[in-house]
Parts: sequence; structure tokens; C-alpha cells
Amino acid sequence: MRVRKRSAVAVLAIGVLAVTSACAEGNSGAPAASSGSSNGASAAPSAAYKPAVITLGTAEDSKGPAIPPEGVVKGGTVTMIDRDDFSHLDPAQVYVNTEGNFFRLIGRTLTGYKRVAKGEFKLVGDLATDTGTQSDGGKTWKFTLKDGVKWQDGSPITSADVKWSMERTFAPFVTQGPTYIQQWLTDVDYKKAYAGPYDGKELDAIETPDDKTIIYKFKTPHADASYAFAMAGYGIVPKAKDTKEQYDKEPFSSGPYIIKSHVVDKTMDLERNPHWDPATDPIRGAYPDKWHLEFGFEALQVTDRLMADSGADQTAFTFYGSTPPERLQQVLGDANLANRRMNSPSPYGNYYYFNLDRVKDIKIRQAINYAWPSKQIQQVLGGPAAAALPTTILNENTTVGYESYDLFGKKTKPDGDVEKAKELLAQSSNPTPTIVYAYNQTPVQEQVTVAIKSALAKAGINVVAKPLDRKTYYDSIGKLKNEFDMYWGGWGADWPSGSTVLPIIFGPVADGAPNYSHLKDPALTAEMDKITAETDIDAANTAWMALDKKIQETITPLVVAENRIATMLHGSKVGGAEIDPQMWIVQPDTIFVKP
Amino acid sequence: MFRFITRRTLGAVVTLLIIAACTFFLFFAVPADPARLACGKVCPPELLEQARHNLGLDQPLFVQFLTWVGGIFLGRDYEGLGYCSAPCLGFSFVNKAPVLDTILDRMPLTISLTLGAAVVFLFFGVATGIVAALKQGKALDKIASVSSLIGASLQIYFIGTLALYFLVYKNHILRQPGYVPFTENPLNWAAGLMLPWVVLAIIFTANYTRMTRSTMVEQLTEDYVRTARAKGMANRSVVMRFALRGTLITIVTILGVDLGTLIGGAIITEQTFGLQGIGQLSIRAVWSSDLPMLMATVLVAAGAIVVFNIIVDVLYAVIDPRVRLS
Amino acid sequence: MSNPFLSVRDLTVDFHTEDGLVHAVDGLSFDVEKGTTLGIVGESGSGKSVTNLTVLGLHNPETTKISGEIHLDGQELIGASRSTMEKLRGNKIAMIFQDPLTALSPYHTIGRQIGEVYRKHTGASKSEARARAVEMLTRVGIPQPKTRVDDYPHQFSGGMRQRAMIAMALVCDPDLLIADEPTTALDVTVQAQILDLLKELQDQTGTSIIMITHDLGVVANTAHNVLVMYAGRAVERGTVKEVLNTPRHPYTWGLLGSMPRLSSSVDIPLKPVRGTPPSLLNVPSGCPFHPRCDYMDLAGPELCKGERPELSPHRGHGDACYLTLAQKREIHK
Repeated sequence: MRVRKRSAVAVLAIGVLAVTSACAEGNSGAPAASSGSSNGASAAPSAAYKPAVITLGTAEDSKGPAIPPEGVVKGGTVTMIDRDDFSHLDPAQVYVNTEGNFFRLIGRTLTGYKRVAKGEFKLVGDLATDTGTQSDGGKTWKFTLKDGVKWQDGSPITSADVKWSMERTFAPFVTQGPTYIQQWLTDVDYKKAYAGPYDGKELDAIETPDDKTIIYKFKTPHADASYAFAMAGYGIVPKAKDTKEQYDKEPFSSGPYIIKSHVVDKTMDLERNPHWDPATDPIRGAYPDKWHLEFGFEALQVTDRLMADSGADQTAFTFYGSTPPERLQQVLGDANLANRRMNSPSPYGNYYYFNLDRVKDIKIRQAINYAWPSKQIQQVLGGPAAAALPTTILNENTTVGYESYDLFGKKTKPDGDVEKAKELLAQSSNPTPTIVYAYNQTPVQEQVTVAIKSALAKAGINVVAKPLDRKTYYDSIGKLKNEFDMYWGGWGADWPSGSTVLPIIFGPVADGAPNYSHLKDPALTAEMDKITAETDIDAANTAWMALDKKIQETITPLVVAENRIATMLHGSKVGGAEIDPQMWIVQPDTIFVKP
Repeated sequence: MFRFITRRTLGAVVTLLIIAACTFFLFFAVPADPARLACGKVCPPELLEQARHNLGLDQPLFVQFLTWVGGIFLGRDYEGLGYCSAPCLGFSFVNKAPVLDTILDRMPLTISLTLGAAVVFLFFGVATGIVAALKQGKALDKIASVSSLIGASLQIYFIGTLALYFLVYKNHILRQPGYVPFTENPLNWAAGLMLPWVVLAIIFTANYTRMTRSTMVEQLTEDYVRTARAKGMANRSVVMRFALRGTLITIVTILGVDLGTLIGGAIITEQTFGLQGIGQLSIRAVWSSDLPMLMATVLVAAGAIVVFNIIVDVLYAVIDPRVRLS
Repeated sequence: MSNPFLSVRDLTVDFHTEDGLVHAVDGLSFDVEKGTTLGIVGESGSGKSVTNLTVLGLHNPETTKISGEIHLDGQELIGASRSTMEKLRGNKIAMIFQDPLTALSPYHTIGRQIGEVYRKHTGASKSEARARAVEMLTRVGIPQPKTRVDDYPHQFSGGMRQRAMIAMALVCDPDLLIADEPTTALDVTVQAQILDLLKELQDQTGTSIIMITHDLGVVANTAHNVLVMYAGRAVERGTVKEVLNTPRHPYTWGLLGSMPRLSSSVDIPLKPVRGTPPSLLNVPSGCPFHPRCDYMDLAGPELCKGERPELSPHRGHGDACYLTLAQKREIHK
């Protein structure tokens, strides 16, 4: 139940993210840049890209103010243009990256990610003085609130508020946010265990011995709890101002800004929260005096406006309006745009899953991995500037302690190693297998499928391509009794740890569950349980990375897919704009307006 | 005349109710479940039941419809979500607000867009149509015919995007399209809508040129036009007072349809220029499966067409006394 | 002897159509004296209406080729400027059309349509024009003219519409009134009233009238002189008495034979002219009537098919036919 439920969220969330960023993941389908065009690609600084490094910060790191970006200037009004308004402003309902990103402007969490340098982040205490102290083997977590943290009316933020915020996520009307901590505190079916605080019942698993201290008591150990508390979905809501369902329309700020006006789907204006104290906040710079957000612009319009950089658009940027394929070569090829251009590969894991119920011979699965035409697919997607070629299941951007490995020679032979594939096929049960490949019927995927088909044919593998309708794609591949051997799927980590990826994509096998390989291996499940219970987070991270490689070596349930790279622009008078490698979105903390 | 308008208005209300009923049953009876949407993506069965109950979806469909119609006159309380005061066209679970609020917020833009464009395309369309009719078969007529053919074949997303690129992004001749209320700053209002007006006008002018030309040619052969000439009336007044009067009927007819359609949502135009009007609202309602909003936008579109039909009928009577008295 | 008030000489009107050149009028000459009525008679397509539109200058200048002379009170109308013609139209020359329902604008009141002619040519004010319109409506016998002046044409009966049309034509006291089949669209009883009205008004104002009709009965009642046209040409000309009592052209005989007479017995069937009028695109050689003429053998087929017969004598009762007077007298016995 748990996984099925969560899977639905995650798949939908990814769908939303991919679509909103217009940088659609492999199968969902924005049109590709013209294939084989590498002029723009060579001009792109993609080579300079380094994966994000995320480490655990200290209490000292948790002190404000935030580290200012180079050349920072305070004041002014910054404009943000995008397609969609935020569906939710109540943190309890926030799960999608765009909403979580925006929430940083108006609300705070116990912990958060502090930008230390470009691509370097530390998990630090946000409202809390540090990232929390664990005891009882990782089952009890204690946080102390900072002095001087206040709500927008000047009243202090207390441990009771923090407790209330967690309790209200159990209420029936909260349906969208993350569910990890609720389940850790109570049960898998957490809403049955506790129905929220509105009828006067408190949740005993959270203790508040004084106004500054809050203690969470989990049923099972969770070494990575400090990361979970950083999710915007666990942002705080004041008991005194809680309007239940209606809070989603008018949230009460604990962050640097207050929503001054909001016309749904159209505009939003923010002004400073006078009671937010930068000295308490190590994360948010909050440099502009005002924010003006405009919605309703397609990625193409956003790109054109930012390219033109005229008038008021000079102080504009976009959270997620990334360059659509039809403008990519132009944007990458224009040297004038170099200092207004940002790029970042997707933080999601993208895979071509094998259906293990049908492709039972590991030799065949490995042969396909060897023969895989990664480079050709990369060209179809728009070249190295538009797509990266990862080799691991865990994404380099969202994995603390990431270690690369290259089992199938993707880096040395990106065109595919036909000889090696043939050799493995010769040892297999069927040297000339037929593979039914299901794909999302979009123009790009048609091209990708052609590349796959012809590359695998060289190794003697016959690919039968089955186009699926876009709308029902996930439903089709989610069926356990599907008629396909291979298909694409994606998964996003909720925090930088293998614990939010591997136990899910290789979790319970069920209709609609994200275990698209239908991998059922008791030994593997036992090992994942063991790592989850590990109290030393560094040891856990190392173990997840090792498991990643082991799974590909001993089971090979998938081919690691290409990873889209988003390219985005900002206006010439906007400073500090960077794509957050974890969120894949421009984060607001370092943004400032140049005079 | 008063009786005529009253009768037509009553007819319009009935028409709208029928349209409302049709949309209601189509949207609420068929596949997507509004409760699921209101409930959210993670929705256990018991919560879904609760949402259904709150929305009255556990009631028979016609009771739901009556409740909805009742809401228009009496307002309606959406438990936990908020109160939707009369006239309540429904409550959007996506926006968490009464749909009418959002529609009223978007309406001024769509009306400005429509009326501004109408002024441009009416003026140019009718003027070129008259010139073409008077210069039948001559170079001017041919130029008008060819350019109206080209105009009619163009698509907004094509010339709109081109115009945006060259006039706004590249050469900064026109402002980035946007909406400033007329009451706030009439100059910026016009400047922000100039490009959409022109682009819409290019597409629409063609039809008016064509219709004006052909009707005018017909009118010019009418006996009473010949009589006017025989009376010694100057050519100008023969054309403007006599022939054009008959042409107006045709122009008003297509104008009524066009205005009704545009008020209902110039979807492509609004999308192309990033304008937040009724058209975008309906598209968004489709994307986010916001059924109450979608239904309200359909009703607004239908209402616009019905209203413009009445206006056109009234105008017929103003233009042609024969209609007035029959 | 003074010059005639309206004198048309050698008028030729050709116009281009998609099918070719139409010879609508070919070498037509006639005069109208002041205060008299000329009836122009002929079948449709004989060029009657074209001739009169040409007098008004209402032909389409793009497609029409005109030669000859038209003098009105000594003024040459062919080639006159547009503004000259506009000043003449509705003022010195007025026209009454066949169907008053279509010829009056449905969008304007009767009063306004009458008044605007008056204003155009006299520069009168709106109220003066309105008063004049009421006066004119009174003159043409519209009851309650003060209220009817604000009515629209569709609120009038057919006869009243034609009266209003006449009022409109006479509002500037024109010297020449061209009435193009003014009674064709009306009931028989109303026809007589309208014709009486025209005669009465002519007596009062001394206006010259050209009465275009295909109905010899109308001519008999109203006209002083008659011109019979066939295929764009005059085939017979004379006073009403001359032409109706001693018709000389076989076509006129045919017309008279096809006209019901009160005196004739009901049993005698009407005898229409056999055949159909010729296409003006392709007018027969010689006498254009020869394909329909019963007496060609008598006159001599070579003659009839060869040269076009002239209207002779030049003055008085003349006809264009190769039959000799003696032959005609013989036939009439």
C-alpha cells in the first residue's frame, strides 16, 4: 500500500516536473533539437559541469546570514516569469519541486540546504541550530530552535508551532505532501493512526519539553532524518493562524517575504517580511526588496523574452522555463548569451527497464547494455549540450558519496560494443533474441527508437517497437502483466540518498508500482533493509553506492538512460542565478538585482 | 423595441440554461471525477467519499444540477473550501476560489483584446471592401483580394510569433504584449495590446474585406442605388448612405459571430502573446482538469455568443426598418 | 421654328459584356417638345430603357461606348462632366422607375428620400425640405401626408409608393420626366390613377415626359407622340393618332394585334408577334425585324436582308420599312 501510494505521487510528480521544465524526460516528449547538430553543442560549456557536492554542515554552518554571491547588491525588484502558478502554498501540500522552491521565499523548515560555493551545498539547520541530534540508534531526533526566529506578525516561532505543523499533515485535507516522517512517527497507514490535531488530540511521538526544543520519536531508526526535515513539505504553519484548507490560499510567512497580492495563474507580488532576521538564516539571501512573479508564458516565450533582454525583462529570470529544443542551438551558439546562460543535468534517474518476467536471461540483458547506442540517442536529443550519458542507477547530483562506475563501457564505447554483445549472446539461451520495446509515441521517441532498433540489430537482436499513447503510457508499463520486454521510466530522489531511490524502484512488485523491472530478490530486499537501518549516514551512503553497482553487475535489471540537460537564461541585470542541481530549478536564495 | 429585447433576453436565458445543462451533464457525468481532483493525488477511498459528500457528488445528477443552478442565484457554501457568493458559477478546486472571481479578473483583458482588434479589423476590412467593390476588376481590387486571401490563410501563431520576434524582441519597436487596465493608464493599455490587435486584425480583416466587397457589389446594382444616382446624389453619398447601409447587415452579422467567439476566448492569440484572458483560462482549465472552471468558461463563451446574437438582432432592427416593424 | 427641348441624334450605345459587344442602341434619333409626352414603345430588350439611362448619364462608363448627340435645352449631355450631370439629375431631368418597391431605399423614410433631392439641388434646410416633401406628397394625393412623410416605403401600398416616387421625381420641378414603365408593377385600377396623375401634373407644370412602355394602351392614354423601337432602332415614329390609327410598320401592326382592345370581341384570339426578339449581340442584317416579318416576300427578301431601311420621311409620321405605302394600304384592307 505504502509504495503503491507513494509511487503514484512520485510518477505524477515527475510527470509534472518534466513537463513544467519543458525539458521533458526521455519518454514524455518535447520535440528534439535537430539531430546531429553539434555546432551549438561544441560551444556549450557543458564540459565544465561538475556534479553537486552535498555534505552535512555543522552548528557553525547553520548560523546566518547566508553566504552572499559575488557582486551582490541589495534592493530592487526582480521579476520571475514562468508558465504555471504554484498549485499549493500550504507547505503540507507541497511536493513538486517548483512549489518547494517557491516556498523558500515565504517559509522555513527545520533543516535546509545552504549554498557554500557553486555546486557545493551543506545540509544545515534552518530554524534549528544544527541538523539535529540522534539518539536511541537513530530512532529519536532532537532539534533546538534558534533565537530570534519569528512569524510575519513578530511573534516568536516556537516548538509548539513546529509540532503543530507536523501534526496537521495527518489531517484528512492534506493529500499532497511527502509522507516519510508521518510514517516513521506512526505507521505505514499513518492517517489511520492519527487524524490530525484539529479535534484537540496531540501526537505523542513528538515532544516539546520547552519552547525551543522539539523531539521526534520514530518507530524505526532513520539516519537520514535530517535530510527529510529539509523537504518543503515539512515547512512550518502557525497554530494561531491555521485556516486548514484555506491556508493554501493565504499562508502566513516565516520566510523573508510576504505575499502582498496574488491573482491565481497570473501574477504574484512579494514584499519584505520585516520580522525575518537574516542573522538567523544561513540559507536565504533575500536580496531584492520586491518580487514580481508572472505566470502564463510558455517556455518558448520565456526564452525569447530573456534572449531579447529588453526593458523590464533585464531584471527577469525564470524558475523553470528552460530553453525548448527549437531554441537550444541558437541559445547555445550565441556568445553574447554566455554570461546569462545556465545549465544543469536532470537530477532524476532515468532508465530503460527490462521486464524480468519476460527477459529472463541476464546474458541477454547485459548484451543489450553493451550494444546500447548511447551516443546516437544523445545526438537525437540534441547532442552533449542537451543530454548527458550517466552510467549509474543513482544520479550523481542527488547522491551524497557518489562513486562513478562504468560496467558496460559506455564511456569508452558510447556507440555500443557490438562485439562484446555478440559474445554474450553466443553464451546465452538465445543468440538472436527478439525484444519488444514499448515507447511513448512522440517525435523524439520515434527517432530514439530507430537508433535503438538499428544498433541492437547489429548485435543480432531483433527489436519490435510498440508505440504507446502518451496519456496512458505509465498505466500501460505499470501493468504487471504487460506484453513488453523493455520500456523507459524515471524516478526522482526526495533527498540525496540511495534510500529514496533503490528501495522504491526495486521495492514491492505491484500494478502501478515503480518497480517496472518486477525485480523480486529476497537477498536484495534484505540488504536494502539493512542499509536503511544503518545509523551511520556515511556508511549508509557508501553502502547504497556499492549496492547500485552490485545490482547492475549481478542482476542488470535495466539500461541506464540518457539524462537531459536543462539550459536556462536570465536577464542581464539579474545576478546570482544558478540552477539548483538537486531541484533542477533556479533557486531564489542567491538572486539579486544589479542596478 | 423594448418588448423585442425582453423577449430575446428571456429566450437567451433559456438557451443558456440548456447549454449549462448540457455542459454540466457532459462534464460531470462522463469520465473524470471532480471529487478525485478536489481530493488530491493521494486519495484514500474514505477521503474520496468525504470529498464526494462535500461536493454533493453523492447526490443524483439532476439534484446536483439544481444545486448548481441554485448556487447561481443564492450562492453556495463549499464545505471547508470557502463560500461562493451569488452568482456562483461553481468553485475551482485547483484555484481554491469561486470561478467567477477568476473569470471576472480575466474578462477585462479579453474584452479589451476583442474590442480593440474589432475596431482595427472593422475599419480596414470595410474600407478595403468598399474600395475593392468600387474598383471592381481594377488593380486595387486585385490587390485587396490577394492580400485578404493571404491574410485569411495566415495563422496567429505564425505571424504572431514572427511579429513578436521582429517587432518586440529584435528591434524593440513595440512593447512586450501585456495588459494594463485602461483605467490605470490608457496609453500603456493600448501599447501593451497593440501587437495582438494588429495580428488579430490581419487575420480577421480578410473576411470583412471579402464580405463587404461582395455585398457592396450586389448593393450597387440595387434599384434604389440607381434611383439615388438618378436623383443626382453624389457618388460618395450614394456609396456611403445607400449602398453601405445594405452592406451593414452582412457586416453586423459576421461581426456578431466574431465578437462572440473572441470574447469566449481568443485562445491562440492569448497563448501566443502570453496574455491572461478567458482563452488561456479555459486552456488551463483543460490542462488541470478543472471542471468547474472549464464549465464556467464554456458558459461564458456560450453566453457571449448568445448576447451578441441579441445585439445583432437589435442592430438589424436599427439598420433595417422593415425588420423593426415585422 | 425653335429647337426641340430634347433632341437625340444618331445615338449609338454599345456595351461590352462577357459574351461580346451588345448593340443596345443603333443610330437612334428623336425629339421631345416642351410640355409634350413622347411614348417610347417596344418589347423588352429593344433599347428603350438604355436610351433613357444614357440621357441621364447613368450608364456604366467603364463598359459603355456612346456616340451621337443628346441636347437638352441646347446643352450637350454626351461627354458632360460628372458634376454637370449630377446637377441635372433629379433637378432638370427626373426619372420614375418601374418597381417603386425596389427603387425606393428601404432604409430611409419617404420624406427623407424626397427631401434630400430638394436639399441637394436647392440647398434648402432640413425643415424646408421636409415641408416640401409634405407638399409634394399632398400634390400626388397621399392622404395624411404630414404623418406619412415619416413612413418607410414598405409601409406604403404599391400605388402610394409610385405616387411617392413621382413626388420625389417632381420635387425640383424638372423640365423632363422620364417614366420607365411607371405602371407595369401596379394593379390596373391604380395604373389609371397614376397615369391621370402624371397628366394632371404635366398640365400644371408643363414638364416634358418620356413615357417608356411596352403597353400601347398607356401610350394611347398619355402620349402626344410615339416612337416604336425594335432591336435598338426606331422603326416607326409619329403622333399618337398617326401611329395607332394608321400604323405603317409590320412590327407596329404586330404590337397592335397583340394588344387587347375593349372594342374587339372576346372570341378573337390575341395574335402575338411570332418569333422572339433578336439578341442584341447579333442583330440580323438589313431590317432587324425581317426574320419575324410576314411581309418580307412582298417587299423583296434581298432588300429586307440587305441594307438597313431608313426611317422616312425625316419629319412627321415615318417608318423604316421597304414596303411601299401602296403595299401597306393593300395589306390593311
